[in-house]
Amino acid sequence: MIFIANPLTPLEDILRSVLEWLGPHGAIGLPWAWSIVALTILVRMLLVPLTVKQIHSMQSMQAHMPEMKAIQQRYKHDKVKRNEELMRFYRDNSVNPAAPCLPILFQLPVFFALYFVLRDPDELLSRGDTISWLGFVPDITAHANAHWSGYVLLTIYVLSQLASTYFMSATMDKTQRTLMMVLPVAFVPVLVNFPVGLVLYWVTTNLWTVGQGVVTRSLVPKKPPTPPKRSSRTPPKSDSPAVDGDDGDAPAVAEQPVKPAPPKRVKRKKKSRR
Amino acid sequence: MILRLPGYLGIGLVYAYRYTFGVLFPGGCKYHPSCSQYAIDALREHGLARGVVLAGWRLLRCNPWSHGGVDYARDQRLFR
Repeated sequence: MIFIANPLTPLEDILRSVLEWLGPHGAIGLPWAWSIVALTILVRMLLVPLTVKQIHSMQSMQAHMPEMKAIQQRYKHDKVKRNEELMRFYRDNSVNPAAPCLPILFQLPVFFALYFVLRDPDELLSRGDTISWLGFVPDITAHANAHWSGYVLLTIYVLSQLASTYFMSATMDKTQRTLMMVLPVAFVPVLVNFPVGLVLYWVTTNLWTVGQGVVTRSLVPKKPPTPPKRSSRTPPKSDSPAVDGDDGDAPAVAEQPVKPAPPKRVKRKKKSRR
Repeated sequence: MILRLPGYLGIGLVYAYRYTFGVLFPGGCKYHPSCSQYAIDALREHGLARGVVLAGWRLLRCNPWSHGGVDYARDQRLFR
């Protein structure tokens, strides 16, 4: 673990001082439990601009749905080839619904900072600090299995983890997705030995992910507002209504690179007809 | 065989990441193969030092402004 933690140390130090600033001895003066929640929300807010790009990508992807379906259909039995072709397609069309890996790395230092702070609470905490939360968690530095409230939080954690995995793994294949859903439950026996404050962090960050996922979905239209470009490439077909009927139309995908002006003209024609 | 040991150590760490933090912080990847698979391939083919550099460079490329795509470790151009 030291291997992974080391390059992140400067970030960790910054987070630690932000936590102190939020905490009871800092400028904001929140109780420790709430400053953990506040720190988590602050970090996730900083990462929001990065997801905006992804939302735009998902929105523009709706127009490419038929082509993507065709690719998935064509390489149904060849996982590697299917992924390759899909990724190539995303690249050629400058859309990519998958989340990039780099922003995830920014969440690791938060985890480590909180882990080390809560493991040696004496460094930060002084006598008389409030370490309870909402009246039902007596001590956020204690292990999660020390009090029944820890189990309540762990249950919320598992549920929120499943929900956030559901939103984050939309681009994964089925086996991988199932594994990602099962593993958090398998982690519970390990997590009971973690400080409650860390579970609190996880619950907060997961709920944020879920909220973000719900907002993203509501921003992405279920059906494309304009007929997909593809239908216009074969002029006779463009007269038929938008998407239906030609899902398995493979040649259309093969013609992909050729994207001249005609699509726009046809689109305008369609709009005026409506 | 002995010379390859550090690379295998790195591969072990990637697997450890996959089944711990990879699950706790779920996410996809813009590339094929995914960043962690790329790291494993790079470590296997180029050893620890070069593998780590390649995997780090790939992670930096897997950002919100890139378009992703197909990118195998064997097609790298950093070390020729």
